[in-house]
Amino acid sequence: MSRGVIALLIINKAGGLIYNRTFGEGLNQLNSNDYLVLAARLNPLREHQAAHYYAQQQQQQHHHSASGSIGAGSGGGQGGPLPSRPEPPSGLEVMETENFRLQCFNTQTGTKFLLFTDTMQANVDVAMRKVYELYADYVMKNPFYQLEMPVRCDMFDRKLNSYIREINNSR
Amino acid sequence: MPVQVFSFYIFDRHTECIYSKLWIAPPPPRPLSSLTPQHTTSNSHELSPSAAAAAHPHRQSAPANLSLTTTTGPAPSSSSSAAAPNNGGYRDSRSAATRAKDDAKLIFGTVFSLRNMVRKLGGDDDAFISYRTAQYKLHYYETPSSLRFAMLTEPGALSMRNVLHQIYINLWVEYVVKNPLSPVEHKNGDGVKNEMFEMGLDKFVRGLM
Repeated sequence: MSRGVIALLIINKAGGLIYNRTFGEGLNQLNSNDYLVLAARLNPLREHQAAHYYAQQQQQQHHHSASGSIGAGSGGGQGGPLPSRPEPPSGLEVMETENFRLQCFNTQTGTKFLLFTDTMQANVDVAMRKVYELYADYVMKNPFYQLEMPVRCDMFDRKLNSYIREINNSR
Repeated sequence: MPVQVFSFYIFDRHTECIYSKLWIAPPPPRPLSSLTPQHTTSNSHELSPSAAAAAHPHRQSAPANLSLTTTTGPAPSSSSSAAAPNNGGYRDSRSAATRAKDDAKLIFGTVFSLRNMVRKLGGDDDAFISYRTAQYKLHYYETPSSLRFAMLTEPGALSMRNVLHQIYINLWVEYVVKNPLSPVEHKNGDGVKNEMFEMGLDKFVRGLM
């Protein structure tokens, strides 16, 4: 049974689904509404983690602050020394289940790529990078593409198809 | 290969957290001082350039306060006692128990929605195993009776599925289920306050680290 890369979803920074492509069997076919729900659900997950992360930061700060000046009520303090910018929380990176694996990639601008593969697929990182490259080349450089809108670019479709077929056939 | 285990939770079929334990706090992220404690309703400041970067966390401040203790709150006594003196008044006013409870709820919410999503995508026989972020990895195991085990470890950890399974078989079933004095339902984790189980779990997990 060869499944390889099963599907690709691209989610814009508002949590909307802008691209949805299935390459093979293996996942239940959802209707488009379900995909939208899925996309929207993954976003708050990231927020949760952000919450965790920043909370930790605060905790740390409590640890390190020798002065008691940041007690309750002193919500200000933005004028304090400006530190290095924190690394943002990564959000969900990989999710594994019995039947498939979900690899997430967040671009700097908040676009999210979801690649569904089977559990044995290796080098998903490489595939993801290549997909992103294709996206950059054939979607972002398409003068007719409107940002944050659904991706309808023939070239992207074609290149993506041939790349994924290449991966799936090489196993 | 030693694995850092951060914490462990059990949820029953009523979605209640019936057991939770923390071993060590995750490695502290680099100290960051622009994020001041947002205990007041400071969310709507004018955004100075420095605050702009921090604007997002500010918006998140409420859940943040709820969630943070997953990692550090009711942590091993050593770290919590160290943290206590510096904590702001607001944080102290919330008991460690409340915070721990909120963490558990947050974790359950995450796990539950992911599990449902997985079932929808992979079919009803699919099971959610784990997810990973840059900061931690969450392992999940669900028994047929809807008892849910969740374990947070370092992100590099291998699959802990068998570990959770072992905990279920060798510890939960042996010491909790087979305990004639243990109630069927574990309201507030009452039935799980079981010396054998807790010792066994602690020993088992420390063996992994």
